[in-house]
Amino acid sequence: MIVALDRSALAAGLSKGMTLATARALCPSLEVAERDHVADRLLIEQIASWMERYTPCVGLIETEDKTPEGVALDITGAAHLLGGEDALLHDCLTRLRAQGFDATTAIAGTLECAAAFARFKDEAIIIPRNTEPDAAASLPIAALGLPSSEVIALARLGLKTIDDLASRPRAPLAARFGRDLLARLDAVRGVIETPITPRRFIPTFITERRFAEPIGHEDDIHRTILTLSADLARLLEKQGQGGRRFELGFFRADGAMRRLGIETARPLRDPKIIMRLFRDRLNALADPLDPGFGFDVIRLSVPMAEALDAYEPDFDGRMDLAEDLAALIEKLGVRLHPSRVMRLHAEDTHIPERAMRYLPAQDGNAALATEWDLWSDADLPPLRPIRLLDPPEPVEVIAEVPDGPPIRFRWRRVFHVVVKAEGPERLAPEWWRMTGQALPPTRDYYRVENEQGARFWLFRGGLYERETNDPRWFVHGLFG
Amino acid sequence: MPVASSDLQSLRQSISKIGRDGSLRAMDPAAKTTATGHQSIDQALGGGLARDALHEVSPQSPSDLAAATGFALGLIGRFAQERDWVWIGEEMTRHEGGRVYGPGLKNFGLDPVRLLLVAPRGAEDGLKAAEDALRCAALGAVLFEPWGHPKQLDLVALRRLALAAEESRVPLIILRHGGQNLPGSLRTRWRVAAAPSEGRETMGHPRFTLTLLLNRQKGARSASGIWTVEWSHGERLFRPADSVDHFSASIDRSIVSSGSFHTYEKSA
Repeated sequence: MIVALDRSALAAGLSKGMTLATARALCPSLEVAERDHVADRLLIEQIASWMERYTPCVGLIETEDKTPEGVALDITGAAHLLGGEDALLHDCLTRLRAQGFDATTAIAGTLECAAAFARFKDEAIIIPRNTEPDAAASLPIAALGLPSSEVIALARLGLKTIDDLASRPRAPLAARFGRDLLARLDAVRGVIETPITPRRFIPTFITERRFAEPIGHEDDIHRTILTLSADLARLLEKQGQGGRRFELGFFRADGAMRRLGIETARPLRDPKIIMRLFRDRLNALADPLDPGFGFDVIRLSVPMAEALDAYEPDFDGRMDLAEDLAALIEKLGVRLHPSRVMRLHAEDTHIPERAMRYLPAQDGNAALATEWDLWSDADLPPLRPIRLLDPPEPVEVIAEVPDGPPIRFRWRRVFHVVVKAEGPERLAPEWWRMTGQALPPTRDYYRVENEQGARFWLFRGGLYERETNDPRWFVHGLFG
Repeated sequence: MPVASSDLQSLRQSISKIGRDGSLRAMDPAAKTTATGHQSIDQALGGGLARDALHEVSPQSPSDLAAATGFALGLIGRFAQERDWVWIGEEMTRHEGGRVYGPGLKNFGLDPVRLLLVAPRGAEDGLKAAEDALRCAALGAVLFEPWGHPKQLDLVALRRLALAAEESRVPLIILRHGGQNLPGSLRTRWRVAAAPSEGRETMGHPRFTLTLLLNRQKGARSASGIWTVEWSHGERLFRPADSVDHFSASIDRSIVSSGSFHTYEKSA
């Protein structure tokens, strides 16, 4: 069945919904490509991303079965930037054609109305405000986007155009076809408004630069980012806000669009820092920014902001240290990945491998607030190793008695003669956390020192005779 | 009232030297060296270990990795005091040598809260991270743990790190897992082996046998030396172990006056 066709196919008398055999019979030279849902969606998504050059509020127009058909833009307050609705429509069509796309477009007061015109009228059309009911009158019923069974049912009643339907009494229609029909009718006639569902969260703070002559040189791009950051800083400062997340959108003249995001450890608005972070991010890109024939719109936005008071350095300069450190965390986060820059977080458990967790340092002070006091003791030699092997490594152990300390053990092909051993420190599994699972064996931990003075943290898994007759040994950590 | 910025600066500096309890802080950020606490070692180093420089620490044998880590952490404890410090450990070092363990760190006398842990994928990222960290004067020290002997860690790279450390006065300790000695811009090089702790039956405080292989410290009294030291996490200092020290009193001028040393002096 035919799902989409181009202008020349339409001219040849083909239409959507025809079987391929019929179409071939009508037009033997027909070129056919099989429908690829994934590729279709990708392409539309890509166009939608690129459309963000006109407004950040871009949504998809989808059919009943969620296949995207087109792109919807909320241009309220955005049209004047390009010299009015006319110019915008023209610009949009010219650019799409330049990329090799054919498109039908319409501007109207409501999403449905514009969508209906774009679907059924082959011209770039602008419906002036409040003339939607008249303009929509001549559209066919199918423009309502109803299931085809209902369109046929309506046609049987002799209702072919929107006007036919609109001039009927509403109550019987609602009774026969449901309230949904009336809602659609009202929407297409521009009487009621439904909002566009944006594909992406619309940022509160946006700055952008448009270029008559697309730019592509690295220096130009950097300079643009800096001026954008400066604009943004003013916007943020007015509201007493700082950004926690920043996003750069690069719109290429030929239709590609690339986003680049950074996250920061604290609210930020210093343009120089924003600039530096983006420069690091650009330098760290695995696939560098490809300007192609140049970018004609670059946009900087803040998807996430937080309150930031005017900067006041601490009296003894301690604030400077904190600022420096936060800047370092950000820089490393941008360079490596935020999850690779960590703080240690103490956990309230006696299971060694769970007593500590890594948290991204960017998440701020959560890690700093943790309590390690459990492990600060008097002047005793350390009870816990400085390096923990994860997972514990099995070792061969010779012990005098099955439940005694080790005498000798072999780890990573090296024999160690135990000179001193302290233990056992018995750590039972946390049965209260493991409902419904088999309980892991109890561990008896020993701190041992070999002839040379190297120290290990060994444990025996399983209590002899009570849990197992052949307990296994592991080395779990190394003492400094 | 207008105040000259230089006055304000000096006032800030003198206030920053006062600790929370009103006493002068143990660490003077303006100081160029930090004492290890072990007299004989500090003498050999000409007062203490340089803050504005690179120091290499490697284990004598693979089994001594933990001891080398312990010595490096002890130095960090001396250097960083109450400041934050960074440990850059390449991914492979965590798999092979174990990951840093918070409770053990606390037991060792270092507050885990002060640690910023960085886990780069490989040597190249690690080097860049180390340089970034060294340029952050807010840090107390940086520990860089590369895996093996990465080719990126060459003369030029080390020189860059040395310059960064010199400027910020943030010391860099390079903890090795073995491999050849690093070339170039190091101020000192240490080889560490575990040493039996005090007590016949029970375990005492951690002890290390240190071999100083390279000493380009200013005012160095000795180009090399061997000591057995004990780390006291309560006092956060190295102290002599009771066994006899093999302090090499001979001053080996041949190394001190080697060409590379002079190059360094001039550029510093």
